[in-house]
Amino acid sequence: MTETLVTRDQERGVVCPGGDVVASSIPELRALMRGLISEGVREMVIDFSNVQMLDSRGIGLLISAHNSLRAVGGSLSVTGVCQEIDSLLRTMRLHRHFAVTAG
Amino acid sequence: MNRRIAAARETWKAFPGTLNAMEAFLAELGLRNGWFERAQDCFATELLLREMLTNAVEHGCRCSPERQIRCRVRREGNHLFIAVKDDGQGFEWRNAGARAARPSEASGRGMEILRTYATRFRFSASGNAVMVWKTIGREKNDD
Repeated sequence: MTETLVTRDQERGVVCPGGDVVASSIPELRALMRGLISEGVREMVIDFSNVQMLDSRGIGLLISAHNSLRAVGGSLSVTGVCQEIDSLLRTMRLHRHFAVTAG
Repeated sequence: MNRRIAAARETWKAFPGTLNAMEAFLAELGLRNGWFERAQDCFATELLLREMLTNAVEHGCRCSPERQIRCRVRREGNHLFIAVKDDGQGFEWRNAGARAARPSEASGRGMEILRTYATRFRFSASGNAVMVWKTIGREKNDD
């Protein structure tokens, strides 16, 4: 997986994974996202511009982040998703719980 | 009707039960390079295959390189077949995924993905092998 880009502006953090959000990339992304929340990020944006595949472990990561942020009064949003990932998130009914924006 | 039927394409491989070996197999398989005409078929197939393989790695092989996964992927025309078998003890698939995961639950969506994206699927009696059939070029709701 190519490098994940993180930009931070006070309570807002944008995470842009360099590749797919799948089982093999989850440990690195989870550590990174937990770190941001523990450092005070409350509005987290995951930019999927470079993501072509999201599996059930990746969905689990998004839900965990959403749960953690909600517990501290924050929010998660996912942007730049391709048509297939948008369809997957809608099929799993996740667009009802955090904002999903197509790319 | 002028309808192009893709030629048969098949890959069969055994590899160690780790995520790194699984990613190497997927890269070698190259599903994104010429297997499919439609992006949604490519996505659905890779998603199904990843769910089957990740379960085999994490649950069947417990991520051990001493254990082995065998995988077969075959496409002939509009028919796709995937089989994944691991060395593990299997699992009680009859009780798995009977209900959809709650929105706040971070796990338990693998079976829902199989139900959504496969035309049909079947586990072996012991649960250490799974087979998926998919009709290419049609969404499941079209069936």
